[in-house]
Amino acid sequence: MKFLLVGGGAREHAIAKNAAQYYDVYAAVPYVNPGIARLASYKVVDILNPQKVAEYCDDVSPDLVFIGSEESLFHGVSDEIMKRGHVCIGAKKEAAEIERSKAFMRRLLEKNNIHGSLRFKTFTDADTALRYIDEYAGSIAIKPARQAGGKGVKVIADLQAYLKEEKKDAKKKHAEQIMQEHLSQDLEDQILIEERVEGVEYSLQCFTDGSCVIPLPLVQDHPHAFEEDIGPETGGMGAISGRGTLPFIEDSEYKKSLEIMEQSVQSIKTETGEMYCGVITGQFMLTDKWGPTIIEYYARLGDPEAVNVMNILENFDEVCEGYLTGSLAKVKPRIREVATVVKCVSPKGYPNERGTGRGKKLQIDFEEIHNLGAEVFFGSVYQDTGELYTGGSRAVEIYAEADTIVEAGAIAEKATHCVTSDWKLFHRHDIGSQDLLDKRVRTAQLVRDVYQYRGQHGLIGRNIDWIPGIGKIET
Amino acid sequence: MAGILGIYAFEEIWNVSRFLYYGLVAIQTRGEEVSTLAVGNDSAVAKGTADNLDVSPLKGYCGVAGAFTRNEGYYFDDGITVVYDGSIDVSRLVTQIKSGKEVEDCLADLDGAYALLLLKDNVMYAARDPYGIRPLCIGGIGFDMAVISSESSALDVIGAEYSRDIKPGEVVVVDQFYIDSLENKAKQKAVCAFEFVYFSRPDSQVFGKSVHTVRKLIGETLEPHDADAVIGVPETAIPFAMAYASKNGIPVDLGFVRTGRPTRTAIKPTQLERMIGVQLKLNPVRTAVAGKRVVLIDDSVVRGTTLRNTVSLLRRRGAKEVHVRIASPKLIAPCPYGVEVPTKDELIAVDNTEEEISRIVGADSFSYLKVEQLTSLIGMPVCTGCMTGEYPTEQGECCSCQPGSECPVEVSQ
Repeated sequence: MKFLLVGGGAREHAIAKNAAQYYDVYAAVPYVNPGIARLASYKVVDILNPQKVAEYCDDVSPDLVFIGSEESLFHGVSDEIMKRGHVCIGAKKEAAEIERSKAFMRRLLEKNNIHGSLRFKTFTDADTALRYIDEYAGSIAIKPARQAGGKGVKVIADLQAYLKEEKKDAKKKHAEQIMQEHLSQDLEDQILIEERVEGVEYSLQCFTDGSCVIPLPLVQDHPHAFEEDIGPETGGMGAISGRGTLPFIEDSEYKKSLEIMEQSVQSIKTETGEMYCGVITGQFMLTDKWGPTIIEYYARLGDPEAVNVMNILENFDEVCEGYLTGSLAKVKPRIREVATVVKCVSPKGYPNERGTGRGKKLQIDFEEIHNLGAEVFFGSVYQDTGELYTGGSRAVEIYAEADTIVEAGAIAEKATHCVTSDWKLFHRHDIGSQDLLDKRVRTAQLVRDVYQYRGQHGLIGRNIDWIPGIGKIET
Repeated sequence: MAGILGIYAFEEIWNVSRFLYYGLVAIQTRGEEVSTLAVGNDSAVAKGTADNLDVSPLKGYCGVAGAFTRNEGYYFDDGITVVYDGSIDVSRLVTQIKSGKEVEDCLADLDGAYALLLLKDNVMYAARDPYGIRPLCIGGIGFDMAVISSESSALDVIGAEYSRDIKPGEVVVVDQFYIDSLENKAKQKAVCAFEFVYFSRPDSQVFGKSVHTVRKLIGETLEPHDADAVIGVPETAIPFAMAYASKNGIPVDLGFVRTGRPTRTAIKPTQLERMIGVQLKLNPVRTAVAGKRVVLIDDSVVRGTTLRNTVSLLRRRGAKEVHVRIASPKLIAPCPYGVEVPTKDELIAVDNTEEEISRIVGADSFSYLKVEQLTSLIGMPVCTGCMTGEYPTEQGECCSCQPGSECPVEVSQ
């Protein structure tokens, strides 16, 4: 059977590896990914161009197409492929709106009364946004209204009156930056401002055909660029998963998260008329306001989270079969009982000035990595005359598994030292360490105590305030 | 003695000068004579506490600040900015850097006892001496800033989250594109025991430990005596008094009310200023002590002059008995690591027993915390140089240098 994959990053490398156990894998890639090249027949195509991808698809005539990259979905690649009669795991353009437009996502949750709504406001121009920031100086997240590969998001806690002016300044500068750097051509909304929440983040990745939602194990990504959760926000510097779960998320929280995702998938159908058929990932945070709270949705697997789950999903063929025969609801994913850790190695310059870290030669000691029991997945890396070069973003993702997260983390950590360059590379030593896990457990418990108190007092998800001269305001 | 603070924002949309200002105000308890704040290539210096600094002209995304007990501990010139707590040969360090040696290497080789922050070419460096004598910790604000400070309370005040202590011998490099940790030659750890007794704020965590927790343990350990009230000398000795009182079942009372702004009298440079500070700070509450047997708790005794003043004040307000408990061991030797402990001939404990000191200050009984008690309560290897005359660095006996002057004895291995 033929399996055609669209996308060329570490996420697709991990999908290709799993699929290659069962299928002849073909890949439509934006550039040659050395890992995918080893596992699949591939063609370099513009993966954002539905016609071009569909043509390759017609040539290959695959039994099943899997779209890894969100931008392909946003551009309607899935729609075109299906139009031509292929079976495709990948949301249609309208359904993928759940990721592309953060305003669409917030409105969907609000309108359908789905647990975890956050107050938000959208702006189509800079002036209105700046005026709003001037008047409403609170703790907020400022985001480009259109998904921009995770870039352009700024979360500012505004809790000290004596630092308010500085924060207001930074918020305004950031909003202006969004208008300059992330101006969306295909959406009217440009800036989204939402209330800031804090807590512990986790990802829940699911397969869905629009009616059933099949969950994969919880994974936690690490968005801070540097050790100890310091540094600018990245697409993720590594991810962990325990034996099917995370040590700081309770079962009831997991169930609530899944329920939120099931309701969201249903609502997409009500809202757009499209059955959501593909992958959906909930980027959650355990917050004191709601408990499990959706921060963002992805219309595809996470990166690096895909690397964690695709390495332990033992019956991917049955999942694919479920999509082919319309029997996804009957599929139970079989997950290998191990803990997994992924660490991303990035060139200096990432994430804020990716250009500076591009085109740097990389050396990888594959044999040593293999001996350590770890594995390399290729991200932003290209090959030229037999040598590997960085593309500026996260270059490689090192995967390791063991009985515990800490053991897997130690293996992955050793293996990162087998990736070297004359250019400075960095990764996070602390991902998968006991100290960081303990910190997550403590933070989660603090948040849990508050949201459970709110739950017991009928305050979950509510804002109650009393303003002198105005009185009580409840939302 | 100094408090130091450095802030590095990863994006240029931030101006960190006011963050530095408020963070420095939080740790101005560590130095009230001179305050400095430098952002980019601009800097401000003020005589007195940090709140005297005018930071409005300063703008930039990275900077360092310091609060000092004397006009020493900072350097800014030629694009190099240094603030440090401890004792180092700063001109030698700057000369090395100017000669082209990598900053990381200069810091790795730097002798002395110090916590240090250095800014050059928009890169921030933080370093602790190999013994870890002076404290330094790191944290972050969201996705926006890295913050490095002598005490964690400065992080709290500006909304940063504490991550960890900088390790003894470690050099941390903070750049827009990376944070590097270079671990060098750590020696047998010896953290400054006096941080727990006096220097640090009780809401801080230093050397990975809560200061308040250690102070309460000290209070519980001080020699018990039957009494009607326990009072602490503000501000530092209040937690000792609370713990002593609850442990011994004696009511704690409000012994003194302060006049004027809070100051730290023990680190004032002259005897007159210390006396003024203590007298202003200590107006006894008559009904708290009159007709009572009082246990008076103070954090330390250096010369004994202010304590003598305090005890006699309590007697004049009608205290029947005054039993003095000191929450630190005897101070008998100078500190070669930058803390202003005076020369031996100015230290009352050098040639007086507890009994003799009791008579000098006019107390009914008098006792110190024992060195072994303090070290076991802190529970990690400590430097008790000022209490024992034994120093962790291999220089042996220290000189009897004058307070405020450079220590002529090289602190080296």
